[in-house]
This record gives sequence, C-alpha cells and structure tokens, in this order.
Amino acid sequence: MSMLRAIFSHPSGRIGGTIVVIYVVVAMLGMFGITPHNPLQQYRIDRLHAPSMVYWMGTDLFGRDVASRLMKGVGQSFLVGVSAVALASIAGTVLGLTAAWFGKAWDGIVMRVMDVLLAFPAILLALLIIAVAGPGTWTSVAAIAIVYMPIFTRVVRGPALSIKSREFVDAARTFGSSRRYILTHHLLLNLVAPLTVQVTLALAWSLLTEAGLSFLGLGTQPPSSSLGLMLADSRNLMETAPWLLIFPAITIMISILGFNLLGDALRDILDPKTRSRTA
Amino acid sequence: MSYLARRLLTFPLVMLGVSILVFVAIRMVPGDAITAMLGTEAGLLTSAQRAALAAYFGIDQPILVQYWKWLLGVFQGDLGISVTHGKPVLSIILERFPLTLQLALMSMCVALAVGLPAGIFAATRNEKLSDLGVRIFAMIGQSTPNFVVGLLLIYALSAGFGVLPTMGEFTPFLTDPLRNLGQMILPAVTLGFAFAASVTRISRSAMLDVLSDDYVRTARSKGVPKMSVIWRHALPNALIPVVTLSGVEFGYLLGGAVLVEQIYALPGLGRLVLEAILQRDYALVQGCVLFIAFNFLVVNLLVDLLYVTLDPRIRLGEGG
Amino acid sequence: MGRHFSTKFLSGLALAVTLGAAGIAVPASAASLKMAWKQDATGLDPHKQTAFSSIRLLELIYEPLVRFDKNLTIVPALATSWEFAPDAKQLTFKLNPAAKFQDGKPVTAADVKASFERILDEKTAAAARANYLSIASIETPDDKTVVFKLSQPDVPLLAAMASINASIVPAAEIAAGTIGTKALGSGPFKLDNWVPNSKETLSANKDWAGGKVGIDGIDISVLPDETAILAALRTKQVDFALINDPLVATLVPKETSLVLNRTPVLAYHVLQMNPSRKPMDNLAVRQAISCAIDRQDVLDTASVGEGRVTGPLTMPGYTSDTSTLFCYKKDIAKAKKLMADAGFANGFSATVIAANGEPATAAAEAQVIQSQLAEIGVKLNIKMMELNVYVDAWLKGDFDMAVALNGGRADPYPMYNRYWTKTGNLQKVANYSDDTLDSLMQKGRVETDPAKRKIIFADFEKHIVEMAPWVWLYTSYNYTAQQKTVSGFEPTPEGSLFGLTKVKLN
Repeated sequence: MSMLRAIFSHPSGRIGGTIVVIYVVVAMLGMFGITPHNPLQQYRIDRLHAPSMVYWMGTDLFGRDVASRLMKGVGQSFLVGVSAVALASIAGTVLGLTAAWFGKAWDGIVMRVMDVLLAFPAILLALLIIAVAGPGTWTSVAAIAIVYMPIFTRVVRGPALSIKSREFVDAARTFGSSRRYILTHHLLLNLVAPLTVQVTLALAWSLLTEAGLSFLGLGTQPPSSSLGLMLADSRNLMETAPWLLIFPAITIMISILGFNLLGDALRDILDPKTRSRTA
Repeated sequence: MSYLARRLLTFPLVMLGVSILVFVAIRMVPGDAITAMLGTEAGLLTSAQRAALAAYFGIDQPILVQYWKWLLGVFQGDLGISVTHGKPVLSIILERFPLTLQLALMSMCVALAVGLPAGIFAATRNEKLSDLGVRIFAMIGQSTPNFVVGLLLIYALSAGFGVLPTMGEFTPFLTDPLRNLGQMILPAVTLGFAFAASVTRISRSAMLDVLSDDYVRTARSKGVPKMSVIWRHALPNALIPVVTLSGVEFGYLLGGAVLVEQIYALPGLGRLVLEAILQRDYALVQGCVLFIAFNFLVVNLLVDLLYVTLDPRIRLGEGG
Repeated sequence: MGRHFSTKFLSGLALAVTLGAAGIAVPASAASLKMAWKQDATGLDPHKQTAFSSIRLLELIYEPLVRFDKNLTIVPALATSWEFAPDAKQLTFKLNPAAKFQDGKPVTAADVKASFERILDEKTAAAARANYLSIASIETPDDKTVVFKLSQPDVPLLAAMASINASIVPAAEIAAGTIGTKALGSGPFKLDNWVPNSKETLSANKDWAGGKVGIDGIDISVLPDETAILAALRTKQVDFALINDPLVATLVPKETSLVLNRTPVLAYHVLQMNPSRKPMDNLAVRQAISCAIDRQDVLDTASVGEGRVTGPLTMPGYTSDTSTLFCYKKDIAKAKKLMADAGFANGFSATVIAANGEPATAAAEAQVIQSQLAEIGVKLNIKMMELNVYVDAWLKGDFDMAVALNGGRADPYPMYNRYWTKTGNLQKVANYSDDTLDSLMQKGRVETDPAKRKIIFADFEKHIVEMAPWVWLYTSYNYTAQQKTVSGFEPTPEGSLFGLTKVKLN
C-alpha cells in the first residue's frame, strides 16, 4: 500500500500508473472478449465506416469494428508482453543468481553466453529466432524473452554478488541455514527493487517489439488482431480511412509511455540515489 | 589498463560465440542448402546428383568440419553465395551498407542537434515548467516506436501540408547529393526522434550531475557568469555520457533500421536481412547477421575505449 | 540563451524537413523510363517462371515465336508467318530474317528446335510443358524455317506458343547451362543489371527486329509497398508504375498529373482446394464450400468491387452467364445440407495458404472466405507466405486450400490443360482429374470449328464448377499508372508490359 501511495505521489508515477491501470483493464476486457462488437465479425455492409456512435473508432476494410479489434489487440500484446517478460525474468533471475552463487566456471559460461546474446542488436536477434522457428504468437514470445533475458541476468548478478559477500549472508551460513534459505530469503528480497524496475521497462520494450514484429508480418497472424498488424493493414488505406492508422498508433504510443513513466517512477522511489536526475 | 586488456581479450571470444550461434541457428531450420536452392526441383534430383550437390555445398561432412570450413571462409571474406541474388553474400552486403551508414550518421546528427541543446536547456531550468515540457517530450519520444513515428509523420505531412516523402529509386549520395538528401531526410528524422529523446534525457541528467559538482559550485560562487560556467566548465564533462550513449545507439543503427527502411522503401541492410529471412536465403541471413554483430561489437568496443580515454577516473567494474 | 538556442535548431530542422520532403527537382536523365513495381521477379528462366512478376520482366527481354496483341489476336513475334497443314498435324513457321539475339547472333531454326526440346524435356520442369506434348518432332529444313510435326491435330498449339514460357533462347546458352543465370534474349530490351528486390536496369535493344523502341531504356525500382509507389508517382520520382492493389489504384485518378490504365485481364482469382487431402477429397464437402462462398461479396470487400465474378472461362468469346453455373449464388442451406450429407455437420478445420502481396488482395480474400466458411462450420486458418515460399508449396501441392491469382490465356485449352488433364504438368497442383474433363479437353483440342469448341468448353466449365475442385471467384483489372508526360502505352488483357516498346517520354 505504501508503495502504491509512493507511486501516486510521484508525478510521472501518477501519470504512468494511471495509464498502466487503464491499459490492463482494456487488455483484460479484450482478452476475455468483452468488446463492443465481436472483433472478428465482418459487417461487410459497413465497410470502411468512419468513427460513429455504433463504431466508436470506425470499421476496417472488412467492416470489422476497429475499437473492438483495438481492445483485442491490446489484450494480445499484453499477453505476449507479460508471457515474454515472465519467461525472461524467471530465466534471467535463475541464471544470474546461480552465476553469482556458484561463481567460477558456471559464472564464466553464463556470462559469456549473455555477452554473445547482447552482441546482437535486439530486433535482429528477435528476427533471427523467428527465422528459425517460423512466425507466430508464441515464437514472438520466445524471441522477446530470449532477447531480454541477458539484461535480467546482469541486473540480478551484480547485486547478488555484492550481497553474497556481505556479512549477513556469511552469518547465515555459519548458523547453518540451508543454501536454498539463503538464496530465497536474503538475496531475493534485496533484488526486488531492481527487478521491479526492470520488469516494467521490459514490458514497455516488449510491447514495442511485438508491435514491430507484427507490423512486419512476423508476429500475430491474421485474422487475429494485434496493434502492429492493424498498422500494417492501414498503410494502403491511410488516405481513405485515416482512423485505421491514428487509433492503433496512439494506443501503442500511450501504452509504452505509461510503462516507461511507471518504470522511471519506480526507479526514483526504489533507488533514491538517482532521484530527480532522470528526466 | 587491465580493463582494456580484458575487453580486448573477450572480443574474439564473443565473436566466436556469435559465429557458433549463427551457424547452429541456421542449421536448425528444416531443409538444407539443396532444397533452399532448388526448391521443389530438388525432388527431381537423382541420388547421385544429390550426393554431388551435397559434396559441393560441403553438407556431406560432419557438422564440426562444416563449421571449421565456414569459419575459414569467413576469415577470407567468403560469406557464401546468396541463392536469391546469385552473388557472393559479402558483395551484396557491401552494396547495401553505405545507405545504412549514411542513415545512421544522419540520424545521429539530427539527434545531437536537437537533443543536446534541449537537454542542456532543461538542466539549466531544472524543475521549472519549461524543463517539465522538455522532459515530457523526451519521454514521448522514447516511448514511440520508430515505425509509428514514420507512419504518423508521413500521414501528417501529406494530410496536413500536402507534402510527400520522396520515394523512388534510391540515389547514392555521390551520384546526386541533393536528391539523396531529399530521400534520406525523413527517414533520418524518424530514426532521430527517439534517439534525440535519449540524448535529451542523458544530457540533462549529466548536466545536472556536473552542475552539482564542487568545482562548478566553486566557480559559480567566485562570480563566474552562469552561461560561462555552463559552456566552459560543465559542458565538457557532461558530454562524456552523451558520447557513450550516441556511440551505442549508432552501433544499433548500423545494424539497419528494418522497419524504417521498409516504410520509406530504402534498400538498406535492415531490409536486406528481412528479405533474406522471408525468402529463406540462409547464406544471406547468416552473412548479414554476422556482419551486423561484428559492427555492433566493434562500435561498442570503440565506445568503451573512448569512454576510458575521456574519463580516466573511471574504473569499469564487473562485466562492463 | 537555452531557449534561443533550441528554437534555432528546431526551425533549422523544420526547414530541412520541408526541403527534403518537397523533393529537390531532378534533371531527367536522357530518355530512360523510370518505373516502379512492388513485386520483383523471382528468376530469369523464361521456361520455368510462373510468377507474374517474373513474366512481366522476361517478356521485355525474351520473345516467343508469336504473341497476342491487345485484341488477343495472334501477331508475329520472332516468326513472320506460320501455316497449319490442312490436317492440323503440321505447323510451319518462317522466322524473321532480321531477328538477332542480344549478343548479335542471328536467331535460327536450330535455336527454336533446341528451345522446344528443352521445354519438352521433363527434367527441365518447364511450366507450360503440357501444352506442347503433341509435338512429335521438330524439323529445320533451313535456317529460317521450322516445322513442328504433331502426333495429333492440335489447333490451340499456336495460341499456346504465344507465351513467354515458350520463349526462344539461344541453343548455345542451353548447352552452356546458363539459362536462368544470364538473360540473353532477342527482345526489345537488354537486362544490364539486376539487383534482386532492389532494381533492374534495362536498355533498349538497338538491333531489335521488331522495330525501334521509343525510349533508351527502363530503370525499374522495387518499392516494398504500394503506398510508396503512389508517393513516388505523385512526387514524379517515377514515370510509370505497376499497381496491384485496387485500393491504391483507385487513388491514382485523384491526382491531376497522373493517368491510370485499367484493363480487364484474363487472370482469375480463385480458391483452390486440394482434393487429394481429407476432407476435400469428398465431393459434397467441396460443393458445400462452393455454395457457402458469396463471390460478389469477396469481390466487393477484398477488391473494393473492382472486377467481375467469373467462371473458369475468362476469355472473350467463351465467357458464360455465371448464374447458370453450380451454386454461383450463395446458398447456405444447401451448403449445410451437403456438409451434413458428407458427415461433417460440425464442420472441420483446414489451412489456407496465401502469398504476401501477390495478389495484393490475397490476405483480404482469405479473410473474407474465412469468415464466410465459418458460417458452415469450416474453421479456416490463414497462413501468409512470402511469394517464393508460397510458390514452392503451391507447386508441390502442399496445401489444404490456397488463395491464388492464376494466369489466363486467350484459349481455354492452353489455359487449363496443364491442370485438368491426367498428363497435365500442374496436375500435382490441381490434384483432381476425371474422365469427363480429360475427354472434353481432348475434344476441344482437336476440334477446329470455333462454334463447336465453344460448346465443348462450356460443358467443361459446367462440369468442373460442379465438381468444385476450385472455387473460381472473380477477374479483376490490371493497373498501370503513368505521368501525363508518358504516352503510347498499350495495355493488354494479359497484363503484358510489352506495350512499353511504343512508349514515348515528352
């Protein structure tokens, strides 16, 4: 609760938090199909209908309701984002912790592999993974997760190393606590702050990447809706039906902005050293 | 210098890892070089023809031998032959690279020209309304995917001002500089948008850092005018993180801007990778990825070296 | 200070944007036509290429013996005259004595013989091989005379030869095995440079026997989407462009400096089913699908109404009233009953493949069909593929269903023989044949009386629509757009760009 209060008393936290809350609500509605119209239903008689009372954001080439598709698309990107970030953070945390704890050869191997993954520009690595596995929703989840995993590994390993060398862990060790106890309780607790910040930023990044991949036709496949796919479909219709471009574009912008603002606020709150320095 | 030594030592190691990853990844794709080249016609081959082709491609040998041969080839600049282009992969990459390089340079110019003054301005007006404005703008810039910026820019220009982006056959800079710049300016602005936002943020926070340093405070208290403090004392030090950030971003851009090149119909490295992936031209995918990763690592290494040179106080820690 | 500084930079940037966006005037380079298209050629072997994008390029470089003009009458290309023996079992061509390949060597009867032997050789896997199977032997009494001896009367053979898939290539290049890697034809343009997915540079062939070409060459750029092509036309970056997407084509006439050429074409949009796979092997299932599809609706939605609903026969003189064909009016009740009869009252799932951008309406067609078939419980998954990957799968017959745009011919026999006869070389793609189709095709091939042929092919059309291996949807238009400064282009129903030989730039 105090955390929530802190977020909402921070200026960018307030804006970011609000956006994220709205975003999650829309995503949930979209995911469970609570939309004004069926997003797949083609009202072909009302093709390319401008925004109106019936179709809040107009209809597309097939007469599908843009608002409903947008909600469904938000749900889809959120699903991809959350799954990818969950995968990346779990794998990254496990790798980072074990690397720090066991050290030596294992540490060397893990960190060198992460170096290799970080040697690719992010979108390129994602493209390469999709080239191997073929396009699709779950491939994009895997691609985004693998691309972001090294960052989690590094974020976790650094603090884990310093905490490991600190006295209270030594103390715990001499008192005979089990390894698992030390890892889970002491280390993890001290990692919550950097991980929370990183998860928020990773979500922003994965929304961005998912949109890009779908735009290229390598993510979500038609007729499912995704924001990137909607933008790609809007290209040849930009002049006749600008609403097909404007609404998804603004949705993408605002949702990523929300997660970024929240991430920044969390960083300020959890890591007071950097307060007010980041714009 | 131990940091430098370690950095230089790990470079070939990481590069080796990259080459293994690329090599293995491509071989996990169903089908082999023969089906990739002949497609359906591969079905018409007799087993003797197939064996001959397998020997030609070297895929009749153990995977380790294949890797070793490929690696030797890479060292001699032989990245294989592209199936769709019927030409050596390296020559195709080198045809496309100048565009990508130019685009990266132009975007960096846009980003520095906008971001640096904006960041410094915001820092000097810390916590005032204009500072907030700059910060919000920077945040929006960082949160908008570049292809969304591109689409909105094209739409806004054509719907609002009747101005259209210049698209058509790409003209290299040396052939016709004016026409070339006409084609490149919008993509550069599009890519420079988010880049400028990052530069704004980092230069603002670096400037704030420096302004709170003791020597700057001392200078201020001795009555040196504010502007002079900012330009002569603070700026040089505040520039260090900006240089680092720009270098890293530049490294990214050298990998080709897939989406922006696609939107503006530019035949750069990014579109080349995308086409190669979509058309399953594996030699080309492999070559491009290796080339891009190499550039990326080299630029990052140079940035690190520059960082150490600029600021000898810095001792980069673990994993840097 | 800070404020001043940043405003200056921002206004400088705005200026740069305006300058760049306005596009700085470019000195027109001599008289080369600047052209743009979206889909690049996929290969250079004229005998093997089936993709429109390749054929569009190759018909500027290679020549067959005869070609169609804009009224689909057969006119001379490499041959100046031709003659059927009275029993229609022998076809003699006289070659144009002035015809030369682009390396300066004359086109001889030996080249014609070698080219057709290459096409007929099964190992070549030539696209139109099935159309020439009646050729028993080829004789070359002299350098400029070729005699095709036929195993049976075959009137459509002449029309079948008016195809880029029957191009005459140099015998020496066949022997050297360089067909497909080097483009050396006898046509109006030489391919100087090809950077796949980026550009082609063509120069006019000064020695072309067909006459003088009105332009010095063609610079083709491949622009990855049609909005970019339209933008390039508007900013006068290109003189001439191919447009595939009717959505974009309809925007062209709004621009006063541009002209849109809109030609009805023989090519047809079709939903191909694969009757070798379950449950499409069941006639009732195929018929149900045919009945469930509202063709006009597909046309109106995917192609913004640009086109007309068609049966299998799209050529002038053979088209029929579609309302007489089986289930050309959507009939959901009948479709549901057929599904139930076949034991699929609850429907089934299948995958439909479609190529990205070829045709431009492919993805949209697939989605409309998907939504229409959902009404009878057929759950369709759409798999979009890049063109060359799609063509691979298509040639192998590796699909449940496919959305396709297939080429038409001026005569039904060469158009459908490759799919719907037991020996057709695309039988693997069609995966359906029966005795009725075989015998009707055979009758149509040997019949010389046009009125009787018309009846034979009308029967063919009726039968195949009822057997419903494919669901023929509609034919559309071929679009090219050009600046007003370009004149003399003649489009053809085949969508050929051969008319570019007569184009002038003012």
